[in-house]
Amino acid sequence: MNTTDLKQQLTEQGFCIFPEVLTGAQLERARAGLQRGIEITRQVMGSTHIPTLDPNASSVRVNNLPAMDPVFLELLLRPDALQAVEAVLGSHYLISNFTANIALPGAGPMNLHSDQALVIPSPWVHPWAINIIWCLDDITEANGATRYLPGSHRYQSADQVPEDAFQQTLPFEAPAGSFIAMEGRLWHTSGQNSTEDQQRRMMFAYYSADFIRPQMNWSMTLPAEVQASLDDQARQLFGLSPAGNTRIGAELTRLPQTP
Amino acid sequence: MTPATSVTRTPEFTSSLEQGLSNLAEYGYTVVPGVITGDSLKRTRDAIYRAAEDDRQRQRELPEFALDYGDPTTNQRIWNVLSRDPVFEDLVEHPMAMEYVRNILRWPALLGNLSANICGPGCAGGYLHADQTFLAEPWPEAGPQGLNCAWAIDDFTDDNGATRIVPGSHLLNRAVRPEEMATDTVALEAPAGSMIVFESRLWHQTGANTTTDKTRAGIFAWYTKTYVRTQENWFLSLKPEIQQFGSDTMLTLLGYKSQGFGLINGQSPR
Repeated sequence: MNTTDLKQQLTEQGFCIFPEVLTGAQLERARAGLQRGIEITRQVMGSTHIPTLDPNASSVRVNNLPAMDPVFLELLLRPDALQAVEAVLGSHYLISNFTANIALPGAGPMNLHSDQALVIPSPWVHPWAINIIWCLDDITEANGATRYLPGSHRYQSADQVPEDAFQQTLPFEAPAGSFIAMEGRLWHTSGQNSTEDQQRRMMFAYYSADFIRPQMNWSMTLPAEVQASLDDQARQLFGLSPAGNTRIGAELTRLPQTP
Repeated sequence: MTPATSVTRTPEFTSSLEQGLSNLAEYGYTVVPGVITGDSLKRTRDAIYRAAEDDRQRQRELPEFALDYGDPTTNQRIWNVLSRDPVFEDLVEHPMAMEYVRNILRWPALLGNLSANICGPGCAGGYLHADQTFLAEPWPEAGPQGLNCAWAIDDFTDDNGATRIVPGSHLLNRAVRPEEMATDTVALEAPAGSMIVFESRLWHQTGANTTTDKTRAGIFAWYTKTYVRTQENWFLSLKPEIQQFGSDTMLTLLGYKSQGFGLINGQSPR
């Protein structure tokens, strides 16, 4: 997609869908990597259910995907994904998190939220985060598609969220292999999987402006061999470089000197 | 230039937390005198001057700092102060500092940086700025997103480079505009051992040192809300013994005890 159209869609809708960017063997590799991640999580953590996020164990959560399989590093750094990220955040951003949420039959919804509203005080005037949501199955309303509240990325404070917000939400439907770019101010929730036999695998690559602390502590959580495999750009995106939150202060040098 | 705000008075020193919080609301800052005294002040002073001397001897100084102007050798900056001597841990988690952090930022909060500067004769001062410029405007109405506890290690005086501020400028709730760089300021005069608490929206700058023979050392503990990325990347630079011996308060401030951000496998690192 050309950058102008992409920016326009993200500005107007707060999201943009890139259909079927993973196909065939690429899609299978991502699915295999996720399966590995599920098994590792069960072994290491004992469970894939996070009670603070989800009402029951039919929502399977996998944290720390970049530590699990190289395919996740590739997805995080794909040019098409980063094009969408930069359309919203500009060039100064970090990788904040990369997690999976698999809705098995019976999985229920989370609470409606915007990612930015959870942590940044209002007014929410600028988009400072974006999710690149990788769809590993056909995503449908029935199998638990993420639901979004149209136009809600323009809300600047919580009192603009209508009382019947949940009833106004719509599902993000997309074929397997697509990604959905959703900016940080769009209010959304996971859906409900009301099918009897379908799983809905989604992975959330979350990027945020560089002054915001990443959700994951990559310095301590990425295995040494993974850190060693990263090039300079990737090290910087994971916040593993010496550069800290000093970029904006440094720009003050361009201001005129006091006489 | 006319002050940007109508607040022209300055608050008196106070050791009362209640009065200090009131000063922060009205003026954007407060001065708590005599927080470290006697032997502990001497040990702190010795340690920061020793660190500065070590950096200079070993040529480990940064060549310049974006917020300073003039000859960079007259204003020495010391980074990662927390790793230089255990005495600095006492400043970071000093009970009086923690009272202000808990009241202004709530708990948990983070330590974004612990740095020092020693402004010597000829030091030209620095740019007028507020510390929360990492946030694009409009700034939150909810109040400051960060807080500085500045420790006067020498007496801060008008002529030796005391930090200068614009009282009440935090109420503008915005950054300094380029045409406002010459706004009138007042020197934060305070005796050695004082803790100067100023919130992240207050306009301030390093003052000029016009003496011929005095140095002015200050240590700046910068605290923020937990969503803000720390200036110092503790996980790269902090000496490991603090991870081992640090109190719960210290490990929380450094992000080793955490919720929502900085997690490992979805959980706090410790």
